[in-house]
Amino acid sequence: MEGKEKKLPDLFPKETTRRGFLRGTAVAAGSAVAMVTVGGLAAKAAHAQAAAPAPQKDLMKYLFAERENCTGCRACEYACSVYHTGVVRPSVSRIHVLKYKDSIDVPVVCWHCNDAPCVAACPTTPKSIIPDPNHNGIILNEKTCLGRKCLKCQEACPAQFVWVNPDTGMPLMCDMCAGDPACVKACKDQSGNPQGPCLMTNKLGFGVNLAFRDVKPNEAGKDLLDLTFYPNVDGKRPTPAKTKKTRRS
Amino acid sequence: MTATKGGCFGKILEIDLSKQTYKTREVPDEIYQKAIGGNGLAAYFLTTEYKAHKDPLAEDAFIYIGPGPLNGTFCVSTRTSFAHMSPYTGLISHAETGAHFGNEIKWAGWDGIYIKGRSKKPVWLSIVDDKVEFKDATKLWSKDTEETHEAIIKGMNDPYARTAVIGPAGENQVPFSCVIVERFRAAARSGTGMLMGNKKLKGLAVRGSKGVPVVDNVKFMEMATYAKKLAVEKEAWQGIKRWGTAGLMEQNNFFTGSLITKNYQTTWYPDVVKIGAEEANRKFWKRHVACNHCPIHCLKLGVIREGKYKGLIAEGPEYESGGLLGSNLGMTNFNDMIALIEACDAYGIDNISTGGVLGFTTELVEKGVLKPADLDGLKPKWGDGDTYMELIRKIVYKEGKAGKLLSKGVKKMSAEIGKGSEAYAVHVKGKELAAHDARGDKARAYSYALGSCGGDHHEGASTRALVIFAMINSLSTCSFASALIWGGENAKITVGMLNPLCGWNMTEDDYWTTGKRILTMERVFNVREGISRKDDILPVRMRTEKLPAGPKKGAIFTEEDTKKMQDEFYSFVGWDAKGIPTDATLKAYGLEYSIDDIARARKEYNL
Ligand code: SF4
Ligand code: SF4
Ligand code: SF4
Ligand code: SF4
Repeated sequence: MEGKEKKLPDLFPKETTRRGFLRGTAVAAGSAVAMVTVGGLAAKAAHAQAAAPAPQKDLMKYLFAERENCTGCRACEYACSVYHTGVVRPSVSRIHVLKYKDSIDVPVVCWHCNDAPCVAACPTTPKSIIPDPNHNGIILNEKTCLGRKCLKCQEACPAQFVWVNPDTGMPLMCDMCAGDPACVKACKDQSGNPQGPCLMTNKLGFGVNLAFRDVKPNEAGKDLLDLTFYPNVDGKRPTPAKTKKTRRS
Repeated sequence: MTATKGGCFGKILEIDLSKQTYKTREVPDEIYQKAIGGNGLAAYFLTTEYKAHKDPLAEDAFIYIGPGPLNGTFCVSTRTSFAHMSPYTGLISHAETGAHFGNEIKWAGWDGIYIKGRSKKPVWLSIVDDKVEFKDATKLWSKDTEETHEAIIKGMNDPYARTAVIGPAGENQVPFSCVIVERFRAAARSGTGMLMGNKKLKGLAVRGSKGVPVVDNVKFMEMATYAKKLAVEKEAWQGIKRWGTAGLMEQNNFFTGSLITKNYQTTWYPDVVKIGAEEANRKFWKRHVACNHCPIHCLKLGVIREGKYKGLIAEGPEYESGGLLGSNLGMTNFNDMIALIEACDAYGIDNISTGGVLGFTTELVEKGVLKPADLDGLKPKWGDGDTYMELIRKIVYKEGKAGKLLSKGVKKMSAEIGKGSEAYAVHVKGKELAAHDARGDKARAYSYALGSCGGDHHEGASTRALVIFAMINSLSTCSFASALIWGGENAKITVGMLNPLCGWNMTEDDYWTTGKRILTMERVFNVREGISRKDDILPVRMRTEKLPAGPKKGAIFTEEDTKKMQDEFYSFVGWDAKGIPTDATLKAYGLEYSIDDIARARKEYNL
């Protein structure tokens, strides 16, 4: 793993900037979540009355994680595997949640990078993975994909998002659930008093996806651990050794 | 005998630590229908495989780690049972814990893990799907639970693995040591840690890639989604989401009158405002953590921000840990209390029993029954965090006179000390009580006095709840996200999920019968060890001393209360007036094999 001295990517040089930045995204994306919800309710109502035509659902193109809000419940993994296979099975869920040092939960999502390094790395012609033009989800063609023999996409993903299906050896790509992400709906259910949802969707990427995707899950965990438990109150975090001693004293 | 169709795999991983081998034990569907899983299945194994008066630390004694049919499915918040014969109380013991460990066992393709034997040198187990490895734990021995957890995760080379480990307390055979699951969750109360330590098993790590088979997925998802929705929306539970169980500290002090204080002397502790949820929110909590698929996220993590424990990340206070190591010890320094809680987690020792022992000791010192000379010169007083910290360390390492005495637990301590100390010894069936005083909260007496493990707050606070909790501990689901939230719909929802999941035809009546059967199996085990009506009572203090202050001032648990509770429960589950399951009951539940055991016990104990 990264050495002690290695800094996180210089995306957010100051802690305050980072937090402010995240908040900004939350607001912008939050309104989009609200839209989805209203759409969903309206759809239900329409179903009941049958007369009114269901309003068109917005297709979302980007996924975000407000990681500070994650409770580690893994409802997103449940929802993703249920959406794709019908039953709960985290090992085939696209999204996964890393428990970092058992104090922090890091949801690992596909950021749907505009330049999609995974797609660029795919050696087959035509490409075995392509972003869907409507909803940006990465669609895998199982017929042409070389699977376990290749996995160049997994290697290329800077977010370390791509896992491999243990049965088929195919990469597990986030297909955005055709524009209406199941994980986001599940996360919203899980949240509530006092926690807001962690996962969000949006039609725009704001470049956030490009910025975030270079932070590896472990780095994000370390970053989040510091941010959560040791914000710069006095500029220093006690060393683990010292912590241990006090506990034992 | 038929194979399981869904919910269960029909196989249990059986591990022999003496031979360092493992094999698959096939379990037919009929057994699951009878005992469900988790704690129920363990009770079945304990009553069929053990003869009376088994040595709980014998080489072939087993620990059963049991999730149930609902684990790893879409069911809301599922848990795991760690069950065995308790080396602490000599009775049946099951400890339930949350987090993700139990689900991972299911996803690895096992219905449970049955561990027997004793390793020559320390080991830890790596379980990845059906591959099991025995790993050397010599270097991990003596490490605390956090270090052990980290080392095992590293050894797995997989940050997504889930662990259950013991700390120094389990290694040193402290009878109320526990297993710490994924760092902050504990399977505690009856010496599971001691048993693992005795087997030289430092920990387990599990990772699975399978899915649990479902017979009728459409029907199952329908009911599971409904059950989940209740957990998401139930109004009354929004507070637990926000405040965790710590919120009960204030509530039980100011309204319920059941917050235990200074070794159960009173339930009035106005200083609770210095150590309760409000204070935790102000100066400690940082984030909310949930078990799998749980919308309640009752676990709160925080960091101590000042003083000598500055920088310490810890979990809590929960109602029980904050009660036992807070108000019960007269603590007014919040950070000191959190440090005590975290020390227990790190050492792998049950914070309820530890708090009980420390409170009892302090009162004995206060009353002059114990002298500092008996405690290596230490003089614990209410609120003295440093002395308590030192005493916990002594208990864990059984160090000096104090360590040797206190590590015995309240019951044996009072027997050894005598001098009227029995009057202040708060335990049921040899186990310390949790943080609800049953004088202020009378319903709690059902769980303490009638529950199978003794002194346990987690076995249902009414006759019907005892049956419901026997079910949820076998299924295994969470008491918040399922039992209490589903309320009157428990039978309907459970059956509605189990039938399409497992391909069963259970009725709601069967739900109650199954729960009663599980309670009866557990009771059979305890009756064989000499338990009967005389033991199903609260500690003497709660029956003879009135609460001196607080909202329930003057309350006491009377003999009539005891009698009413016992009669009501015995007749509901089909036991006789002595609290012994009748032959007719055993037959009705399909437990004919226990009839001889009961007859022998009746003769042996003159019942
Ligand atoms: S996050 Fe990874 S998988 Fe997702 S689009 Fe970017 S490179 Fe591809
Ligand atoms: S594994 Fe399949 S999708 Fe991934 S790079 Fe190789 S061929 Fe393309
Ligand atoms: S958007 Fe859909 S495919 Fe992608 S992680 Fe979420 S649930 Fe899975
Ligand atoms: S559902 Fe949301 S809160 Fe739960 S683990 Fe996933 S991202 Fe985190």
